[in-house]
Amino acid sequence: MHLYLPGALALWCALAFALSCLWGYSMVLRGDATGLVFARRAYVFYASSVGLAAVLLVLLLTQRDFRIDYVYHYSGLDLPMHYQFAAFWAGQQGSFMIWLVWGSLLGLLLQRTAGKSEPAVMGVYLLTLLGLVFILVRQSPFAMRLDAPLDGQGLNPLLQDDWMVIHPPIMFIGFALSAIPFSFAMASLWTRRFDGWAARAFPWALGGFLVLGTAILMGGYWAYKTLGWGGYWGWDPVENASFIPFLFGTVLIHGLHLERTRGRYRRANYVLATLMFMSVLYGTFLTRSGVLADFSVHSFVDLGLAGWLVGILGTFLLLAAYLLATRLRQVPTRANEDPVLSRGTFMVLATITLLVATLVILAGTSAPLLTRFMKSPGQVGPSFYNRVNLPIALLVAWLLALVPYLTWRGETWRAIARKLLWPGVLALALTAGAALWQVHNPLHLLFAFLAALALASNLQKTWEKARAGGLAGAGGYLAHVGVGVILLGILASSGYDRSAKVTLVQGVPQQVGDTTLTFVRFIPSRGREKEAMEVEVARRGERFKVYPKMFVNRRTRQLMVNPDIRNFALMDLYVSPLEYDPGQPFLELAQGETGAIGETRVRFVRFDLQAEGNAMVAMAAGRTVTVGAVLEVTQNGKTAGLRPLYRLNPADGRVDTPPLPLPDGGAVRISGINASSGKVRLDLGGVANPAHLALDVTTKPLISMVWGGLYVVLAGGILATINRVRQARQLDSLGKLT
Amino acid sequence: MNRRLYLIGALVLLAFAGFSLASFRDTLTPYVSYQEARDANRMVQVAGALQKGSSAYEMANGSLLFTLRDPKTQDLVRVRYHGLRPANFEDAISIVAIGRYDPRAKEFAANKLLVKCPSKYQGTEVEKTYS
Repeated sequence: MHLYLPGALALWCALAFALSCLWGYSMVLRGDATGLVFARRAYVFYASSVGLAAVLLVLLLTQRDFRIDYVYHYSGLDLPMHYQFAAFWAGQQGSFMIWLVWGSLLGLLLQRTAGKSEPAVMGVYLLTLLGLVFILVRQSPFAMRLDAPLDGQGLNPLLQDDWMVIHPPIMFIGFALSAIPFSFAMASLWTRRFDGWAARAFPWALGGFLVLGTAILMGGYWAYKTLGWGGYWGWDPVENASFIPFLFGTVLIHGLHLERTRGRYRRANYVLATLMFMSVLYGTFLTRSGVLADFSVHSFVDLGLAGWLVGILGTFLLLAAYLLATRLRQVPTRANEDPVLSRGTFMVLATITLLVATLVILAGTSAPLLTRFMKSPGQVGPSFYNRVNLPIALLVAWLLALVPYLTWRGETWRAIARKLLWPGVLALALTAGAALWQVHNPLHLLFAFLAALALASNLQKTWEKARAGGLAGAGGYLAHVGVGVILLGILASSGYDRSAKVTLVQGVPQQVGDTTLTFVRFIPSRGREKEAMEVEVARRGERFKVYPKMFVNRRTRQLMVNPDIRNFALMDLYVSPLEYDPGQPFLELAQGETGAIGETRVRFVRFDLQAEGNAMVAMAAGRTVTVGAVLEVTQNGKTAGLRPLYRLNPADGRVDTPPLPLPDGGAVRISGINASSGKVRLDLGGVANPAHLALDVTTKPLISMVWGGLYVVLAGGILATINRVRQARQLDSLGKLT
Repeated sequence: MNRRLYLIGALVLLAFAGFSLASFRDTLTPYVSYQEARDANRMVQVAGALQKGSSAYEMANGSLLFTLRDPKTQDLVRVRYHGLRPANFEDAISIVAIGRYDPRAKEFAANKLLVKCPSKYQGTEVEKTYS
């Protein structure tokens, strides 16, 4: 294959330097300390080569060099500059590249902070990076075409969204981070230094948890805001591929916490760190090998990487299995057990519960693979995940509620009950509120009660900690407050959303529940602005307009749909267009002219500039200008004189054009006035062949709690990360970490 | 005391494993041929190519109607889908519909569509299909 030479060279250099670095570290491990300086330098050279390759790809994209196959496929002349970055990671090769870039940068930090464990940790870590380098050498983003096209194919319009510009790179930071606890774990087993790794790996594991969480939040928000699916989570294999490492990471950070504070989970943490990293590799395999091509809305097709991905997955699986099998038994464990009603036991229960949930989700995601050997391969839908995760969510909420009030020493039920009094009262009040609102399913009420209890008890504990000046140590509790909020948000927004499909006739108000919708007009595209639908909404005395978008992408001819979302304190109104039929939407008439739509004839007699005071005077004074149009409308033999108004507020440019009823059904309104040609544009709603707009209108109660809760979880995670970084540094400076 | 707790824990796990397995089997939607879909009284998924010009949107009840053709057997099935038309529906080279066959309406009532496009995510036209 023909390659763009500088780029290909940079990747080959990266490969060579990575191998020399590995050799340097292996010298150190064999007892030759001179290898260290060499290895460190080689790593810097390696990272620079990767950086160079990435910079070259960015340059090729920004120069729109369509001789490069990758640039041709993901960029185009009309693609705005900031989306050139999105094009970087829009395809397989580029997304492996960004993953490698982050991994290499993190390696620089890891090298400097790993202390005594550096040679072994960096050795394992380099192996994980080498896997990516191999893939990129095999599937180079620098492959050149035989021809030199003048324009590229452009970027998938779904990806032309600001959230999509930053969601994938953040996800890949998370993927890159997940390799670090794994490297610490393997290095610890390899060197048989079982003590220090947990403290060193802890901040990295928390970092991975945080970054993956952030990326999932962004992906969910993008799906909600841009795709018009109506939801933020679809249990699609690609979504699960990022969720599973996040869950394993969640279990891992709790395991590391138990190890650091109680000396428990010393063996399990090796397995958990392995699972987190393996699940990233496995997810990559599932989504990039083409095995899910018929099962996922958005999985990549096979580029001939399937074999490589299986090879890399298998290599690390064998390596980890060998080390775990031979060394795990040598890890010392603590003999004595915690009392039953103690924080230790409950945390163990919580981690087991989460682990079970993760494994079930993993099994569901793997359904197409698992059933491949049966007669007909299949997959499981969202109902599977929702069903199995409901009991798990109940159990988790219950455990979360109790944990803040348990001590490591053990407690009596009576003492816990006393401490849970106020959170319990609060949770009961909230549950009663939910029951009064519309929650009647007893399981949902229990869910609401436990989630509220978890929220309240952790909130109380966070508050206590913060008041005692120990906010740094309250990260965990704060994160659990967020989990309670999220659970309530999920219950309300997914269990009690109301969706209706309505077909609106232009200009004719239609009632859906307590909401009245009017399709006002179709707004044609202007510059970058896409075509949109103007829909007026009247709801509980409030009036506003929403602008869901529906347009055909010029390049790919795809019909694109963007919902419009109106956020209220207690719910979101989600309006997504389903179909648009332009009909014959309007008449444009000069003075004295007559036009007709179907049986309706309209004569535009003249403008009325005195409709509400003199329009000229109002204009000069900067007040609202009102212009009327004198019309003669004939409909099925009935004739009427109508005078619809057009009000323009020059201060904010707002236009108010109330519709007037026609003599025999329908309505007329002025949708535009062209002063220079003296023409008026009339929208005739409900006559003959008006435009139709089919909409999906959904109310999603309390959905903001899902986002808000996630922010709280992340804030808690940040606090915990800061705390653990500080602790690891302290221990290291005291020489306590091996 | 502790042994009994372990036993309870094991039983709970076992019960949950059984519950998960049952849910897995209940919610699994196997890939089947159109004929199998007509006979199966359960959620299945069918794949095929969109018959050109067969798609229509019914404004009245808000549903998308189209015909899928099995590239191998040339069998046809009419599909009704309530919901948002996927962004790249018309360009699709392969459509997967998940739902169940409605024998009275003689239609496959889909509640989810997966659309495979030649240019989605990967610009190459050599799209692999697994069927």
